[in-house]
Amino acid sequence: MNARQAAMNLEVIRTLMERTTQYQLLTARAGLAAGSLAGVGALSFLWLDRNNPWQFGIVWGLVFAGSLLAAAIGTVLRGRERGELVWSRQARAVVTALLPSLFAALVLSGYFFARDLHLWLPGVWMLCYGQGALATAAYAPKPIRSLGTAVLLGGALTLYLGPDWAVPAMGIVFGLGHIGLGGVLFAAERRSMVPRLHQSVA
Amino acid sequence: MNALRRLVDELDPLLHERGRLAIVSVLAAVDRIPFTELRDNLGMTDGNLSVHLQKLEEKGYVSLDKQFVARRPLTSCGLTKGGRQAFAKYLEHLQAIVEQGRGRQRA
Repeated sequence: MNARQAAMNLEVIRTLMERTTQYQLLTARAGLAAGSLAGVGALSFLWLDRNNPWQFGIVWGLVFAGSLLAAAIGTVLRGRERGELVWSRQARAVVTALLPSLFAALVLSGYFFARDLHLWLPGVWMLCYGQGALATAAYAPKPIRSLGTAVLLGGALTLYLGPDWAVPAMGIVFGLGHIGLGGVLFAAERRSMVPRLHQSVA
Repeated sequence: MNALRRLVDELDPLLHERGRLAIVSVLAAVDRIPFTELRDNLGMTDGNLSVHLQKLEEKGYVSLDKQFVARRPLTSCGLTKGGRQAFAKYLEHLQAIVEQGRGRQRA
């Protein structure tokens, strides 16, 4: 064994250990899709009425559902591509970490919509999202931690700025934020060595 | 004997086999893991994985725990303290080989 082979062995070991503990099926494409959807959602209020709770709720509900669908499809495709389990130990850990924030976001959404305070919701959603993203920090790729922190701060700022900034803030934080995440993940995907471990060690 | 050769010779032969090294790398990242999950993660066959685990268990690097969960047998695997120490030592050796190679390049 020479130094180059030793370095490659260390790289494979590191990859194996990371794959065992980290959820790595999140794709750049899913991030870009979620960002684009949020951007389209924000732009749609150039024609729609943001003060109408139904229009506001339907648009952001569709953005959320579309983003979730994009993430699910991306995950399944990536899992197949790599020959890895989709509902893995890491995926279960990430979903479990996300559930409390998701629950809080749903309850608060109901509360704010019922009181016609829906334009305060973007800040609340961002705080829940940021908290959820940081809750997955132990299992998720590093860019998620940065995104979580940025969204958390964005949520605080959005609440401070008030309802006038509700829609632009959604476009900036969730739109540009996810597009940025997609870009970072895309660069990481191109950089990463992806050994076909299921073939190489069997 | 040069220093690089000596380092290579000191590598634990049991861990140096790629299948066992992959198993130990995964086990080092978790506390315990079900046999089936380890098999699926590494894409090994039941027989291949069993043979490797048996060798690692004989050396005291791995502990296997067999239980019945909901009337179904469940085997879980984990590294022992000795296994973790051996793996850490193996990594140190690899790192030393890399450093040695860098030193040669600079010289």
